[in-house]
This record gives sequence, C-alpha cells and structure tokens, in this order.
Amino acid sequence: MDKLLRRLRYLLNRRRFDDELANDLEFHREMAALAGGLPVGDPLRLREEAREAWGWTWLDRLGQDLRYATRLLRKSPGFTLAAILILAVGIGANVAAFGFFNLMVLRPLPVRDPASLLHFQRQAPAGYASVLPYPEFDFFRRHTTTLSGLIARSRGSLQMEGDEKPLKVHFVSANFFTELGTAATLGRLLDPTRDETPGADPVVVLSRGFWQRRFGADPSLPGRIIHLNGKPVTVVGVASDETSSLALETPDLWIPATQHPNLVPGSKLLTDYSVESSGEEVWGRLKPGLTPKAAEEELRSLAATLRTEHPEGIWENETLPSEPGGYVTSLLGRAHHGTGAKDPSEILPVASLLLALVLLILAVACGNLGGLLLARGVAREREISIRVSVGAGSARLIRQLLTESALLGLLGSAAGLGVGYLVMRGLMSATSTPLWLDPAPDWRVLLFCASMGLFSALLFGVTPAFQVVRQRHRATRTRQILISAQVAASCVLLIVAGLLVRALSHASADPGFEYRQVVTINPELGNHNYSPAQARTYLETFQSRLRSLPGIDAISASSAPPFGNKTVTMGAEFEGRILRVRTSSVDPSFFGTLRIPLQRGRDFTAGEKNALVISQSLGDLAWPGQDPLGKPINLGGHDCTVIGIVANAHVTSQQDKSAAEAYFPAADADLPSMILLVRTTTSPESLAPTLSSLAKDVDPKVMPDVQLMKNSFQRRLQDAQYGVLSISILAAIALFLACLGIAGLVAYAVSQRTKEIGIRMALGAKPADVVLIVMRQFARPLGIGLLLGAGAAAALSQVLRKILFGLGSLDPVAYFSAIALFTLTVALASIVPARKALRVDPMQALRND
Amino acid sequence: MPKKEMPAGALVLLILRVLRSGPLHGYAIAQRIHTLSSEVLHVEEGALYPALQRILLQGWVTSDWGVSETNRKVRFYELTPAGRQQLEAEMSGYDRVHEAIQAVLRTA
Repeated sequence: MDKLLRRLRYLLNRRRFDDELANDLEFHREMAALAGGLPVGDPLRLREEAREAWGWTWLDRLGQDLRYATRLLRKSPGFTLAAILILAVGIGANVAAFGFFNLMVLRPLPVRDPASLLHFQRQAPAGYASVLPYPEFDFFRRHTTTLSGLIARSRGSLQMEGDEKPLKVHFVSANFFTELGTAATLGRLLDPTRDETPGADPVVVLSRGFWQRRFGADPSLPGRIIHLNGKPVTVVGVASDETSSLALETPDLWIPATQHPNLVPGSKLLTDYSVESSGEEVWGRLKPGLTPKAAEEELRSLAATLRTEHPEGIWENETLPSEPGGYVTSLLGRAHHGTGAKDPSEILPVASLLLALVLLILAVACGNLGGLLLARGVAREREISIRVSVGAGSARLIRQLLTESALLGLLGSAAGLGVGYLVMRGLMSATSTPLWLDPAPDWRVLLFCASMGLFSALLFGVTPAFQVVRQRHRATRTRQILISAQVAASCVLLIVAGLLVRALSHASADPGFEYRQVVTINPELGNHNYSPAQARTYLETFQSRLRSLPGIDAISASSAPPFGNKTVTMGAEFEGRILRVRTSSVDPSFFGTLRIPLQRGRDFTAGEKNALVISQSLGDLAWPGQDPLGKPINLGGHDCTVIGIVANAHVTSQQDKSAAEAYFPAADADLPSMILLVRTTTSPESLAPTLSSLAKDVDPKVMPDVQLMKNSFQRRLQDAQYGVLSISILAAIALFLACLGIAGLVAYAVSQRTKEIGIRMALGAKPADVVLIVMRQFARPLGIGLLLGAGAAAALSQVLRKILFGLGSLDPVAYFSAIALFTLTVALASIVPARKALRVDPMQALRND
Repeated sequence: MPKKEMPAGALVLLILRVLRSGPLHGYAIAQRIHTLSSEVLHVEEGALYPALQRILLQGWVTSDWGVSETNRKVRFYELTPAGRQQLEAEMSGYDRVHEAIQAVLRTA
C-alpha cells in the first residue's frame, strides 16, 4: 500500500524526481572524472533505465503514442472524419439500445429509496393475477411486520363537470406520495393521517400537466372544489412531475382509494375479493435489513390466515411473489390475470433481439473501418518501413497502431454518445414517454459507451495492425474475410427488416374486416355493477336510440371487439391436437357490422345457444380436409355445434397470422361486458359528440368510452411502425456501409492489377472479361457472406417470431428480396470502380514501373 | 586490478549495508563498496541508480539534499527503520545461503 502511494508520488512529481535523478548522475560523473575514470554509457539512457524502476514508463510511451496518433489523424482529416462517422453510427445504435435497456432495467425509478420497493403479484396453483383485491391489500397493510409501508394503486376514470372526455384517475392509498417522496408543486399532497380516515372529506391531487392544461396553472387552485361524477371534491394540491408516479402514463388526478365508493356509482372496490373487474397493484417498502424472501413468506402466511375467513376470495396455497419495484420493468405489465402459469416476460427476448441487431451494425461498421485501415496501411508503407529500419520492434509498432485505433474508437464513441442520445430523444418524444424518464446519459451509459469504443477498436484495429506491420497488405485474404463479415451482418439486418416490413404490411393491410366507418362504444357496465338484466335493458335502449340517429348503417355488440384491451384465448382439443383459439361473444349482426363475409352455413339467430361460428382458418386447422359445418366442438367447457364459417378476420389479434377465431352467441353473463359497435354511412367523427349526450340520456352515471376504430387501428400499428422504421434505417445504413466497403475494395483491386489488366487487354481480352476478372475474386466472399447472413437471419427470426406478430420464419419473399436488393446494390456500387479497369491503357500500364 | 561485476541481488544488500553507518550520496556508495571490497567489486552507474530507485520505492531509504565534499548540492541517501529491518533479514538470509554454499564447496 505504502509502495503504491510512493509510486503515485513519483508519478505526480515526475519532473522534480527526474531532475533530482539527473543531478545525481551528473554529480557521479563529475566525481568519476575527478578520480580520473572515463564516463561510461549515455546519460539519457541511464536515466531512462533508472526511471523504469518507478513503473511509469508505459504511461510515457502511451503519451508519445497518443500524441503521434493525434498528429497523424489531424493530418488526414478526411479519413478521420469518415472513420468517426462510421463508428458513430455503429456505436450510436448500441448506445441507444443500451440507453433504453438502462432506463427500463438498470436505472432505478426517481422515487425515494427505490431499492427497498417491492412489487407484489398473486400466484397460486389455481391462477395468477397482477393485482390484489383491496381487502387483501388492507389486511396485509394492517398486519405486516416485514414491510414498513404498502402502497396500492388502481386505475379508473371520472367525469369532470363541463368536460367532454373522462379524466384518467389513479385511486391510491393515501401514503402514495409520502412513500415515494413526491414533492408538491402547489398546496399539499395526500396525507395518510387525514385523507384515509372514515368520513374524511373527499380530496384530489392534480398532476402538473393537467393543472396547466385545464386550469392554466392557476396558483390559487388549492382549496377549490371541483365536481367529479357530480360529487364535490376538494383540490388540495398539485404533484410535481419529477418523481415517478409508478406508471408509464401520468394520470390527471390522484384520489384516495377510500373515496372510490363515493365517486363511482356501484363501486365494490373496497370490499370485493374478485379481481375480474378491478384490483390493486401493490408495492411494499421492505424494512431495512430484511430480505424480499422474508416479506414473501410473511405475506404467504397472512394470506393463509385471511383465507380461513374468506375462502372465496383468497386462493388455496396463494403466494405473493415479489419483484424489485423500483424499476421501470415493474411498471410495464398491464393488468392481467388468468389460469395456469403466467406468460414469461417479453423483456429478455426483445432485449436480446435488439442486442443482436445493434451488434450487427457495429460489426458492419468495424468491418468497414478495418478495410479502411488496411487500405491506409498501404499508403503508410514508407512510414512503417522507415520506422522499422530505425529500430522500432514489431511489438512497439503494433502498440502504436493499436493506440491509433483506440483513439479513433474513443472519438467514435464520443460521437456515438451524441448519436445515441439524439436517437433516444427522438424516439421518446415521438412515443410520449413520461417526463421523469430522462434519456440523458448517466454513468452506466458513459461507461458502456467508452468500453464500446475500445471494444470496437479491438474489432477493427487488431487484424489490420498485424497485417500492416508484417507488410502483408497484398494478401487479400483478410480483406475478403472482412467483406464476408460485412455482407453477412448487413444481410441479416436487411432480411430482418424485410421480415418486419412484410409483417407490418400484413398487419396494416386488410385485417379481414371493414373498420374505417365503425365507432366502438364501451360503457363498462360491469364496472358500474350492472346485472345482466340491467345490462340488457341498457344495451337495448342505447341501440334503439342509436337507430333513430341519421347516418347509422348497422349496430352490433361484442365482448372483445378489435383493438380492445381484452383478448380471450381458449385451448381446444381436435383429434388429439391442442389448438389455441381466440374467442369472443357477439351479437347476431356482428358479422354484418364489420363486413366479415359469411362463407357457408348461417349467422346466429337471436337468443341462440350452443352454436358457434368459426373462421375459415380454424376450420382448416381443426378438421383438415373435412367439412366443419355441423361438427361438435368443446371450447372452454361449452359443448357447441359449428353452424357457420366466416372468412378469416383478425378480430381479436391483429398479430396472429392464422386468424383461428371462434365466435359464441352472446349469453346473459356476457352482457355487462359487451361493447357496442356502430357502423356509420357518414363520417364517424361527426357521430362521436352526439354519442356522449345520447349516453347521458340512457344512464347519466355511465360515461362510455367512445373510440373511432380507424384511430385505434392506427395507434395499434404505430409502435410496430416505429420498430420497423428503426430497423429499416439500421439496415439501410448497413447496406450503405457494406457497399462503400466493397466498392472501395474493388477500386483497390483495380489499382493493384493495372499491369495485369493491361497485359490481358493487349492480348485481346474483351471489356466484359476484364470486368469479370476484377469482380470474380469478390464473388466468393459475397456468396459466403450471403449464406451466413441468411442462416443467421433464419435463426434470429425464430426469436422474432416469439415476440412480434405471427410472422413466418422462412418468408421467401423477405429473404429473396433482401438478398436481391443487396446483390444489386453492391453490384451497382462496384461497377463504378470496376469500369476504371476498362479505361486502362495497355501501353501506359505496361510502361508503369 | 581486475574489476568484478556485482553478483545479482547482492547490490541491494551492499547498498543497504554501507548506508547503515550513515547517509551517503550515490557516488560515495559506489566508492565505499569499491574500497571495502578491496577494489574487487565495481558498481556501475547503470546498475547503481536503478537499484537506488527501486530501494527508494520500497521505502528502505529516503533521500535528502546535502552538500558534497566538492561543495556541490547533491542527494544523500539515508536508511529508514524499514530499510534496517530489510538489511537484517537479507543479511541473515545471505549468511545461511553462504554457509550452505561453503559447506557444499568444502565437502563435495
């Protein structure tokens, strides 16, 4: 330790120690001269040898190398700029990808002490749920000893007086803001000691955005009473938006969950044990020194205790698995529940796919730059041989060349940092992410970026350095390998982009039904505690009112219409094979309203039971080669008979290519969850305002959510479009880089073989032969690269298939068009330099050197 | 007068030993070794100063400015307590090895 400190002292006071050493040596010489001895050796050399004992010689050499490299790069600004740009693209893509990963997984949420937050779910042999019933949460809150606090949050909507659209509301436990450490922009936030007691006055906290939007940032707002669902509620304050609201969207209002029954007619939130309609997302704050396991164990035994009182609400052997709650990953899942095991997280496959794609871009960039460095090696032949002849060892030369590469790598990563940040900013503003998700690079991103720069320096620098030092740049082998690698990597990117474009066009083309003129009206009757009979009356009244409006073409209803938040999948056995079938319950006029053609059989009749209409592809999958009409089928415990076959329509999932769908006639139990579908003859926009007043007439307590289906359709496509756009841009860049690389190589080959070409032309070779000779040596690396690329793309698309759409892994159109595009572009790019070969004048070429 | 090169590893031991009697400058260290060895051992500059740097780095000696017999400003090296310990350890080690070698040479 002392030694290290002394060593550091030598580093910091090098000049002084060096002077002292020089003085020692000088004195020694003087004395030796006095004694009549002759000076031996070179004083400078002696000093250097003595200094080596300090252990900092490498630093001096590095400094020398860096200074030299800087001079060199400055001397050829064109090369430097090109190299930095190429690297900026390659590293920038990686930095952006890592930046997103960092935001999602690594960087804690901006809340107080994020490390001790846990997010709980329910799990039992009988099923799973991402939400807990409020009474269960309340029981845990009252009895836990391992958690210092429990937070609950559920989403809802309330209508404010004078507004057209309902507001987004988060109903939270009153400790929500104090636990998260949120600051108030104005007034006060929720107070667990005042706002949750029985009989407490109803209060509301506004989000900053809503306060600015709706109240023009009025500073005198706290204390004012607003009317929500017709009930007076006091505004107590405005929350700042710097702290995470434990959701990726920011709500308009926060209201204590205990006020839910006062504001939402028929709410059973505080007493209901079922999680079908609503429930609480729950976070807990672990007490210091305890492990999540201890908390899980305690909640498990508390749940078992609660089950003795409420066997209908708590599952048998229920456990409460936790995940770290202080990260964005815990906010990603939508409310979900079901039977069997939970779907595995999609983060990992998406992240690994993204990683693979951005690494490919980096590979292309590095391959390209490697080619550039090799070519530069030729130009530096003289310099290198001079340095060798004045005594530079090859180790020293390689170190020098690698230092240059490292410097380039670091410069490139600095540029890449900028590119990555811009990409993130652009994507995030385009997808309206919350303000507290800050794309500015933190230390993790900086570290990643710097190591990416050095890593790529190794990738593009090592081989050329050895080649250049050995003066073996004439060996085209390395170049060919570099070309193969570039071709393979860009080919993968092109094919994957092609697959995505195909999948997207497939999704955005015809979903199998006509959506442009359709409006969906979701009254969420189940959430308003409607019984099936009440729901029937409501729906019938609504429909008859609608019919009296002008411009209405058709009206129907479905439990899971297209672009809704709900999909139901059922497994069914067909002759020993299990098929997953998407199902929905529909009114008889459903197929007519969405213009799904009935191919055979008939539509439902009113009040029909045990009948089933299936899509054509389900028929083909279930009974290949047979007539499905009249076949019995057991789906989700219902015995039904197939009465009709409709054309394939991607009603419940636009991503599933097979469109294996089945439609039940709506039963009584389905009625409270039915969503109305209205087809208009005029523009659907004009209908929307009329609908809300019409809804108010039918039941003023119910504020249906009205959506234009064409807007929902566009929204659904948007995320996919961004993905496809990004990957297409990556692929285009890769293609461009690969073309540059190959064209450069062809040009080089022509310049190297001028003499040979001259001789061939003198002996009567035709222009086509000459071009062929030049190009032939690239056929093999190109072919190998294309093969490798296609193979890798096939492997990648297996991963892709799991997470995106229902795309086929071996979509021949995508593969062939990508390969054709690639070959064509590369051929075009290399024709320009290859034509130079034709302009070779045999006489000139032979007279040269 | 034949000049013998220093056996490897012994130089550090000798430097520490000649410094035990008091601070010396570099040239004096070389001279002292030279005279004490009856002019058999000759310490080259190229070996002395790197060895001194290593010893300084180990913390066995410290250096301080002083004035030489020729009235010139020069660094004097002084043994530290750690250096004294090191010297004891190396000397006993050296004795053992030396005796062992002697024993072999006598009997074999």
